[in-house]
Amino acid sequence: MSRARALLAAVLAALLLAPGLARATEVRVLSARVVAPNELRLRFSAPLPRADAENFRLTHAQAPDIPIPVSRLKLLGGNRVVLTFEQRLMPAEHYRLELADPPLARDVRPAAWALLLAVMLAAALINNFVFTRYLGLCIFFGVSKKRDTAIGMGITFTLVMIFTAMASWALDTFVLRPLQLGFFQILVFIGVVAFVVQFLDTMLRKTHPVLHRKWGIYLMLITTNCIILAVPLLNAQASAGPLDALALAIGSGAGFALALFLMSCARERLEYARVPQPFQGLPIAFALAGLFALAFMGFSGLDFFR
Amino acid sequence: MSLNVIQPKPRLTGREIARIVLSMSLACLAGAAMLGLVYLGTDRYRRASAEAGERKDIREMLGLDADARLLEVRQYLVPGARQVVYRAAPLGATAGTAHEVTFTLDGALAGERDVPVTVPLGKEWTPLGRIFVAARAGQPAGFVVQGETRGYKATIRLFVAMEPDFEIVDMRIIETTDDPGLGAEVAQPWFREQYVGRTAEEIAKLDVTRDPMPEDWKAALVAFARRAPDGPARHRALLERERRKPIYAVTGATISSRAVTEGVRKTVDHFRRRWWLLAPHLEGAL
Amino acid sequence: MSTVLHPGPAPSARQLILNGIFAENPVFRLALSLCPAVAVTTTVLNGLLLGVAVLCVQVLSSVTVTLAKRLIHPRVRIPVYTIIIAVWVSAIDMTLAAFAPEIYAQVGLYVKLIVAFAIIISRLEVFASRQPLVPTFFDGLGMGLGFLLALLMIGAFRELLGSGSFAGIPLVPGKPLLFFALPAGGFFSIAVLMALFNWVERRRQGGASAPAKSAGGHGV
Repeated sequence: MSRARALLAAVLAALLLAPGLARATEVRVLSARVVAPNELRLRFSAPLPRADAENFRLTHAQAPDIPIPVSRLKLLGGNRVVLTFEQRLMPAEHYRLELADPPLARDVRPAAWALLLAVMLAAALINNFVFTRYLGLCIFFGVSKKRDTAIGMGITFTLVMIFTAMASWALDTFVLRPLQLGFFQILVFIGVVAFVVQFLDTMLRKTHPVLHRKWGIYLMLITTNCIILAVPLLNAQASAGPLDALALAIGSGAGFALALFLMSCARERLEYARVPQPFQGLPIAFALAGLFALAFMGFSGLDFFR
Repeated sequence: MSLNVIQPKPRLTGREIARIVLSMSLACLAGAAMLGLVYLGTDRYRRASAEAGERKDIREMLGLDADARLLEVRQYLVPGARQVVYRAAPLGATAGTAHEVTFTLDGALAGERDVPVTVPLGKEWTPLGRIFVAARAGQPAGFVVQGETRGYKATIRLFVAMEPDFEIVDMRIIETTDDPGLGAEVAQPWFREQYVGRTAEEIAKLDVTRDPMPEDWKAALVAFARRAPDGPARHRALLERERRKPIYAVTGATISSRAVTEGVRKTVDHFRRRWWLLAPHLEGAL
Repeated sequence: MSTVLHPGPAPSARQLILNGIFAENPVFRLALSLCPAVAVTTTVLNGLLLGVAVLCVQVLSSVTVTLAKRLIHPRVRIPVYTIIIAVWVSAIDMTLAAFAPEIYAQVGLYVKLIVAFAIIISRLEVFASRQPLVPTFFDGLGMGLGFLLALLMIGAFRELLGSGSFAGIPLVPGKPLLFFALPAGGFFSIAVLMALFNWVERRRQGGASAPAKSAGGHGV
C-alpha cells in the first residue's frame, strides 16, 4: 500500500514540476540593456538554439520597418549575448528587439522606475516649479514667513496635488479625450481642484477637528495656487501615462515643499536684518527668491541616462 | 479676497437647495454651451492656420516658388499585419485620389492601388510620420521629412529639408514639449544652422561635442540664420572646415543637443531607406 | 487715493482706472497673480499678450457677473465665479491659439493658468457682485490695465537688460546683462521694480502722513 502511495506521490510531483521544468528550458529574455555607445546587452534564461547575427532584429520603436544593422555578436557565459551595432544607440530611446528562433519580442527602453525617478527629480529640483518655472508664487510668498506654516502648507499641498493630479488625469484620459472635449480641460481641472479641496476640507472637519483648525486655512489657499492647475495641464499636454502623472505630482509637491521650507528658514533670519524701507516686505522676499533660483540653476545638468 | 466673518449658516430648506442647484446647473450649461460655440468657431481657423503655417515652412525651407507642386506622403504602421502603408496625395487635397503603397516590414511590396482621398484609415493604423516631396517637371526637387526624437523629458518634433541628393538644406524644430528655457535652447537659429550643408554620409556619423564653438563659425551661423546679405558666403567659407567636425552643443543643454542630432540622423537615415523603396512607385504621382 | 470698494456710491471711471493702475496695482501693490509677472516677462511681446489676455478675462468676467447678479445664489457664488472665469479663459485661450499661434506657443500654459489668479476672483467678489454695470466695467478695465502695464514694465526692463532689445527690435549690441532674462533675474527685476513703486507711492502720499502700506501684507 505504501509503495502505491509513494508511486502516486511521485506521479503527482512529476505532474506538478513538469511545467516548471518545461519552462526552465524555454528561452526567455531576462534583461535587455542599451550600453553606450552602440551595444545591446542581453541575458537569456537558457542557451539560444541559434546564436548568429541574423537571428536578431533591432528597430526603433517608431520605425519598425528599418532594422539597425548588427556589426558583431559576442557570446558570453551565463546565457549572455552582446550585440554591437553600426549605429549609435541612445539609452533613452525606445527600441524593439525581435528574434527569429525562438520567436521572441521585447521592448528595450529605460527601466520604468528610472524614468519615473527622473521625472520626479526633474520636477523637484531641475525644473522646480517655484524657482525655475515661477508657479505658485502667490501662495509662496504669503506662506513662507514662518517655518511651521511652511511645513504645514508643503505637506498639505503635496497630498492635494497627488489627489488632484490623478483625478484630473483619469477624467482627461477616460472622458475628455475619447469624446474630443479637450477644450473643457481648464473647466474640468479647476472643478476637480475645487472639489478635492472642498472634499478634503469637509472630511477633515468631521474627522479631525483639531487638525482642521490647524491646517484648514492652507486647504482654502491651495485653490488659487497656479501649480495645482499647472500639473494636470502639463500632464494632459504631454499625454502622460498614469505613472508619469503620479511622478510629476509627487515631484512637484516635493519641490514646492522644499522651496517653501528653504524660503521660510531664510525669511525667519531676515527678520533680524535691516532692510531699506522701499524693500521691506515683498521686494526683499523676491530678491531672496532670486538668490534661491540662482542656486537651483546648479541642478540644471542633472541627468540619469548619460 | 475678503474672509467672511464666520456666522452660523441658516439651515437649508428644500427650496433653497433647489435654487442653488438651479443656479449651478444654469452656470454650467451656459458655460458649456458658450465653450462649445467658441470651439466650433475657432477650431476651423486653428487648423487652417496650422496647415498654412506648415506649407509656408516647407516652401521656405526648400526655397520653393509658388508653382512647385507639393506632395504629402503619410506613413502608417499596421501592427497586426506587420505592414507599413504609404498614402501619397497633393498637400492639402480634400478631393481626388491618393496613391497607396503597402510594404511588409521586410521591404517586400504587398500592394499598390489608388484610393479616394476621403477614404478613412484602417482602425489600428498608427501614424509614423510624414514626408513632403516637392516636384518640378515630374522629378523630386527637394524633400521635407518630419522626424521625432526624445529630448530631455519630452518629444521634440522636427522637419529636415533635403536636396534630391539628400544633402541637408534646412532643419527646423517644429514642436518641443520641453520647457522653454531649458530644452528649447536648441531651437535657436545658430544651433540649427549647424546641420545645413552636410551630406547624408556626414550626418550618419555625426557626433556632439561640448567644446565651445569657434567664434568665427558662430558669427557666420548667426549671420546666415538672420539672412544677412553676406551670410551664405561666410557660411560656405567656413563650412568646408567645419563639416567634418561634430556638432557644438548648446551650453547647458547637452542632452537636448544630442537628442536633436540623433533625431536628424535618424530622420535622414530612415528617409533614405524608405525613399529607396518608395520612389519607383510614386513616379506617376510626381 | 485708495478706493474703498464696498456697496456705496461708485467712484468715477477715471478714479477707478487710476486706482487699478497705481494705488491697487495688482502686481506691485496687491501682490496678487505674481506667477506670470515673472514667467512671461522675458520679452515685452510675451508680457503684452498675456496682459491683454488677463485684461480681457477680467473685464469680461466682471461684466458677466454684474449682469448675472440676480441669477447667482450667494451660497454657491465662489464656484459660479470660478466657472465663469474658466469659461472666459478657455474661450480666450482657444481664440489666441487660433489667431496668434506663434506667440501663443510661448505663453500658452500661462494663459490657461489665468483661471487660478486670485486677482480676478477677488475683484468679482469685492466689486462686481455689488456694483452696477458701468463702474464694474471701468474697475475691471483699471485692474486689467494695471496688470498689463506692470507686465510691460517688467518685460521692458528684462528684455532691455537681458537681450538688448525691445519688442524684438535690437537696440543694444549683444546682451548687456543676460542674467535678467533668466528665471533668477526675473525675481530680481520684480524686487527692484516693486521697491521703486513703493518708493514712488510713499513720495506721492508724502511720507509723514499715514505710513504707506508696502506691498505684501496679504499672507498668512
